Amino acid sequence: MDQLTSGRWPAAGGERIKRHSLLDRAYHWLMALCVFVLMATAFLPILGIKFEWLDIHWITGVTLAALVLIHIVRALVFQDWRNMWIGRSDLQEIWRGVARLFGSRQPPLLPGKYDAAQKLYHLGVAVVVLAVIGTGLLMLLKIDTPFWRRNPYWFSADTWGIVYVIHGFAAMAIVAVVIVHLYFALVPDSWYMLRAMVRGWISGKEYSQHHDPARWKA
Amino acid sequence: MALFRYSRSIYGGSDQLIGASWDLLPWFVGAAVAFIIVHAVLSALAKRRAHGSH
Repeated sequence: MDQLTSGRWPAAGGERIKRHSLLDRAYHWLMALCVFVLMATAFLPILGIKFEWLDIHWITGVTLAALVLIHIVRALVFQDWRNMWIGRSDLQEIWRGVARLFGSRQPPLLPGKYDAAQKLYHLGVAVVVLAVIGTGLLMLLKIDTPFWRRNPYWFSADTWGIVYVIHGFAAMAIVAVVIVHLYFALVPDSWYMLRAMVRGWISGKEYSQHHDPARWKA
Repeated sequence: MALFRYSRSIYGGSDQLIGASWDLLPWFVGAAVAFIIVHAVLSALAKRRAHGSH
């Protein structure tokens, strides 16, 4: 794990390629914190650990919504959103990867900043997080807060049922995607990306080994 | 296994949909664990094949 925390390894005095800005890393870890708090306050009471969860849950949910809004504006206006767009070269990358699994000797296609699997994962996370945030914001209508009084009659009981179903399924899907994310973050092959999410950079060697400079001009 | 939760209507009408069934939570966790196992096995096989070809 030294390579996660040491600034000296693996690029002792070597070239460093900036992968994530401080703002993006702060967003990532704040979002992670929010998601863990939301999962704990959602599922621990269901699993029998009872505590006053509602205030922590909705305040953290609103915080997550604000973070995601900032991320969307930043990605669309101030960053290159095409880094996360799934294009033809990503489909070729997936096809080549599947072919290699079944014995093809063709070399793997190197990705840009993010590989095809990461882009698909991001798309999946975006869908479930936006679903849980959208329904969660609607559910705020059913609780009293310092800012508004509850009004549960905005929707019919049937509509509220659908809102709760979407919120519940999206929340359980988030548990699954978090488990998968932890796996990919912790497997040794991707430690360099975990380090980049902590310290911001990858080495020049890692850049040339894992990325196509034509697709990611660092 | 239920997919949804319902509340029993006190007026004798049809049951009211109130959310997703929490019984599904272990299935979501299981799906994630299954995905991880499949990925780990395929990665190990791919690495073994790559080493074998050198």
